[in-house]
Amino acid sequence: MQGFSDGGADLGQLQTTMRNIEVACTSIQMHINPAAAEATILSLSQSPQPYMACRFILENSQVPNARFQAAAAIRDAAIREWSSLSTEERRSLISFCLCFVMQHASSPEGYVLAKVSSVAAQLMKRGWLDFTEAEKETFFYQVNQAILGAHGIDVQFIGVNFLESLVSEFSPSTSSAMGLPREFHEQCRTSLELNYLKMFYCWARDAALSVTNKIIEPNAVIPEVKVCTAALRLMLQILNWEFRNDTTSMKAGIDVFSAGVRHDNGSSKRSECVLVQPGPAWFDVLISSGHVSWLLGLYAALRQKFSREEPYFLLWIDPPDVVSKAIEEGKSESEMLDGCRALLSIATATTPFVFDQLLKAIRPCGTLSLLSTLMCEVVKVLMTNNTDEETWSWEARDILLDTWTILLVPTDGSGGDALLPPEGKHAAANLFSMIVESELKVASASVTNDDGDSDYLQASISAMDERLSSYALIARAAIDVTIPLLTRLFSERFARLHQGRGIIDPTETLEELYSLLLITGHVLADEGEGETPLVPTAIKTHFADIAEAEKHPVVVLSGSIIRFAEQSMDPEVRATVFSPRLMEAVIWFLARWSHTYLMPLEETNCLSNDYQQHHSVNSKKALLSFFGEHNQGQVVLDIIVRISVMTLVSYPGEKDLQGLTCHHLLHTLVRRKTICYQLVSLESWRNLANAFTNEKSLFLLSSANQRSLAQTLVLSASGLRNSETANQYVKGLMAHMTTYLVELSNRSDLKSVAHQPDIIMSVSCLLERLRGAASAAGPRRQRAMYEIGISVMNPVLHLLEVYKDESAVVYLLLKFIVDWVDGQISYLESRETAAVIDFCMRLLQLYSSHNIGKISISLSSTLLSEAKTEKYKDLRALLQLLSSLCSKDLVDFSSDSVEAAGINISQVVFFGLHIVTPLISLELLKYPKLCHDYFSLLSHILEVYPETLAQLNSEAFVHIIGTLDFGLHHQDLEVVDMCLGALKALAAYNYREICAGKTGLVSAGLGNLPEGIFSRFLRSLLQLLLFEDYSPDLVSAAADALLPLILCEQGLYQKLGNELIERQTNPALKSRLANALHSLTSSNHLSSRLDRVNYQRFRKNLNSFLNWQNKRNGWFRFLWSFLNFSMHLEALLLVV
Amino acid sequence: MSDEEHHFESKADAGASKTYPQQAGTIRKNGYIVIKNRPCKVVEVSTSKTGKHGHAKCHFVGIDIFTAKKLEDIVPSSHNCDVPHVNRTDYQLIDISEDGFVSLLTDSGDTKDDLKLPTDESLLKQIKDGFAEGKDLVVSVMSAMGEEQICALKDIGPK
Repeated sequence: MQGFSDGGADLGQLQTTMRNIEVACTSIQMHINPAAAEATILSLSQSPQPYMACRFILENSQVPNARFQAAAAIRDAAIREWSSLSTEERRSLISFCLCFVMQHASSPEGYVLAKVSSVAAQLMKRGWLDFTEAEKETFFYQVNQAILGAHGIDVQFIGVNFLESLVSEFSPSTSSAMGLPREFHEQCRTSLELNYLKMFYCWARDAALSVTNKIIEPNAVIPEVKVCTAALRLMLQILNWEFRNDTTSMKAGIDVFSAGVRHDNGSSKRSECVLVQPGPAWFDVLISSGHVSWLLGLYAALRQKFSREEPYFLLWIDPPDVVSKAIEEGKSESEMLDGCRALLSIATATTPFVFDQLLKAIRPCGTLSLLSTLMCEVVKVLMTNNTDEETWSWEARDILLDTWTILLVPTDGSGGDALLPPEGKHAAANLFSMIVESELKVASASVTNDDGDSDYLQASISAMDERLSSYALIARAAIDVTIPLLTRLFSERFARLHQGRGIIDPTETLEELYSLLLITGHVLADEGEGETPLVPTAIKTHFADIAEAEKHPVVVLSGSIIRFAEQSMDPEVRATVFSPRLMEAVIWFLARWSHTYLMPLEETNCLSNDYQQHHSVNSKKALLSFFGEHNQGQVVLDIIVRISVMTLVSYPGEKDLQGLTCHHLLHTLVRRKTICYQLVSLESWRNLANAFTNEKSLFLLSSANQRSLAQTLVLSASGLRNSETANQYVKGLMAHMTTYLVELSNRSDLKSVAHQPDIIMSVSCLLERLRGAASAAGPRRQRAMYEIGISVMNPVLHLLEVYKDESAVVYLLLKFIVDWVDGQISYLESRETAAVIDFCMRLLQLYSSHNIGKISISLSSTLLSEAKTEKYKDLRALLQLLSSLCSKDLVDFSSDSVEAAGINISQVVFFGLHIVTPLISLELLKYPKLCHDYFSLLSHILEVYPETLAQLNSEAFVHIIGTLDFGLHHQDLEVVDMCLGALKALAAYNYREICAGKTGLVSAGLGNLPEGIFSRFLRSLLQLLLFEDYSPDLVSAAADALLPLILCEQGLYQKLGNELIERQTNPALKSRLANALHSLTSSNHLSSRLDRVNYQRFRKNLNSFLNWQNKRNGWFRFLWSFLNFSMHLEALLLVV
Repeated sequence: MSDEEHHFESKADAGASKTYPQQAGTIRKNGYIVIKNRPCKVVEVSTSKTGKHGHAKCHFVGIDIFTAKKLEDIVPSSHNCDVPHVNRTDYQLIDISEDGFVSLLTDSGDTKDDLKLPTDESLLKQIKDGFAEGKDLVVSVMSAMGEEQICALKDIGPK
């Protein structure tokens, strides 16, 4: 093919080249033989050193497309040959491109210029790390001159344009590929961000400023607009840069501006606003230089110039009422939303105090007041047209709520709430009352639109949660006003309910109460998220002047809600007022409230600090101790327990409500020891325990609630002072279950009665309870649970036999045993362990005998897939059981060791695996969770007890190896990782055995295996590493598995290596491959031992081998013929 | 066949009731329920409220265990539903007759010859092939509300 190399180029040759390219470009445009034309163009960019020709074309060609292609060719060739170009050549290429664009700035073919300037940008980036600062300075001086406007508008535009290309090249998301590692791009990006970005920004701003005056003049369209647009675009692009190095590397910046600038960007956003995050170092440029006002002015002026409308959007959001009215009357809302976003952006960069001060200079009141008024207006609009459509007011509300959240969320990590100036507090209070009013209105209006299905409490809370917690922040900012407000709203509604009972339909009021309860719950207490939440700081620090606990506003509010809740005990009131939905909110509130206020941990700490006779401490103490153990706490606890029992008994079939009571409220109560102490002495708690064992109605709870209730009751035993009474208590709770199960399993007519629905229901119910209790076994209650478990062992086996076709019962049986063994195993003495293990093995065998070879037959595909899912769940439970048994070797609290009693855990687990694995088909391993469990168990076992694998029979062995092979090719990284771990353990064990002169795994009782599992794995692992796509994260694990495999099968490895080398035709590459393969096994002093050091060396070797191999990927890939090669080997192995 | 006939039969059958009442709220997925007088396996349960402040109701989706038809029902969760008594018995397979009936060996040593093979082609093939290979096959027969059907097949290996 014809090349366009510069070697000895004379003018004639250059002109020929140019003509060729021009012809090619034209023929492409005219669709004449495009393939040949493309080949001509391609040959230009692929020929070595085509720069002269390209320059010639750029400077002389009359065909713009030819010039474009020439620029592209420069780029391709230079990137390809960069490392072989001299510094001088590199520099001259860039400056040629830059000069070219500057000189031709007025050329009408913009796309050619854009291409050339992007080529310059790419080459600049390519050489970024090689050029000295001085060299870069030279380039940028040129650019800066252009941007300053020294050479006219067109050049100015080109300069800005070049910077835009440059910035987008340096931003990883928009950079073009250069065939270099990611580190290169990262380094470039960091360097630009730290050293140049701000400077570029200033240049762009100055460029824009320099033309602003001309643009604002009410003339027709002028060329300056082009510059201004480009400059603004560049500024926007820079602000959208993903800043990384903001805080740490810019110490100086922080010191200067830390007073006014916040450093958190972690809070979540509802509104999709792009937030600028350039970091504090940009403060001077962005905030203090006053160019925001210039930008606003420009915006206003442009609007005026181009659309000639009323000037009310000079400040788009002020005055808010006028703005919102205008929008409702049909004006565009986009300025208003932009204004809201601007407020949000300002809020992210400032503290509340600074935020409030911002507008003080030009307005009588602070920004907070403006924000509050603005949001009030938005909420008002929301209230008047309450539709499901997402209107502008929704969006505005979300943005403004975000603004409040950003301002009010505590930033210093101490949990202290942000303090607002008095005026700000007033604003927050106004806003909160407006919000509550609107929420109440929405609530009462929602009664009529009856879409009951979507109104489950949890769902509505989590959907509203973010909004509610923002509301809570606003309320807490003005807590002394908002708490009394809530109290008043509650008492109004209570009164309304009472007066109107039986006369007026209460639904609207109920719905309002529902909303109020959710809001108040959020204001008074935090969620905790697994931790014990403290009383919010705002509530602790305010109300300093209140010394009497009864008058503390929070006490008054809580008290009124609790008294209201207590009325639900009256059946008549319950029937008319306490609908299941309202009751859900009540229970939710009680759970959240009691987690924070009922017998709080802080109470004790607070009392011990008695010497601090300060007002605020007094009021805080009053609040904390009011619901403490020595005050009203017990009374309130009693009320809460009685209400809980009532919801469980008197709301039959209300699963959601009962679920909240069991999982949320009761669970919260038993989580704290102080409460447990009180609980066990309460009459009402004893009643609950009694009802649990005796009352029919509690047998009707749904399964999850059943389990949770049993767990809660057992957990409350931690309130008993010693373990003897605790065990006694648990036994008392559980006796009815064990008796029933033992009696049932001893019935002679068990087989015929067992399948009666009522019996199935009782059995399931009791098993759920047992399971719940088993999962609550702690050290103190372990004895009792152990005895309970032992007493039902035989019944469990009987039931498993009888219910073998009742998958739901089987699963419950298995889950109970899994949870029970998990809770018990580490405490058991060796004799007990033996009994438990024996039992588990019988269970496994029984299960396996029922299910092996069984085929479900059903016409319904749904039922068949259900059956498969059930099987998967069973197997997963069995694997968990084996894992628990395994853990005995790791965690053991018993006094004697298990080995003393002659128990070998490894054998037990292998035996179990032996029983279970035939049931686990490759089909079932497609369930990700099962797959994960299976391989984690397998790799654990193989790592800890590789020797026992040899004791499996060949069928089981082959099955396990087959699954390992399956796992190696799995998509899930973790699974592959675990398989590699297992493989490493196996091969290492085998190698050690062989070194010790033993036979190793291959021949140990596995005579009839297909020869050499290790050679098979060696081959498939090499295949994976060399020819398949795999995650780089796996290389270390693969190295660890590969080393022992190579050591086990050195002969085969040599053969494979030689084959690889032989396949290589290029002699130079052949020798390099040979070297690489050689250094894989010999460099870094790799020895043939399997110790940590050696593994590490091999990891390094493999890494460098693979890096080398990846670089050569181009030619290496053709070795896909490896496929042939491995087939060839397969044949070879068969012959041998 | 007519459901009515079976219904009469079940009433006459003293002692072993065909269905039991159970509170709707306690019936769960994978359990059984009678919908439109057919025994079903529950594949989906969801709860909702009747009106905003009303009581909960359960929405069941069931699959007829014999005909594989999908049936649905909505019941207030505190009310009772009928739950069928579903029994399973294992028999050893002795013979498959030309007309599609199977011959089964009962525990007492008698034979049971009134059951038809499944009509579905692939299931039929599984049974026939297994039987032809001389495997020892045990079939599970599921019965509820006066109907019965082969529901599972198990190879118990050579004697």
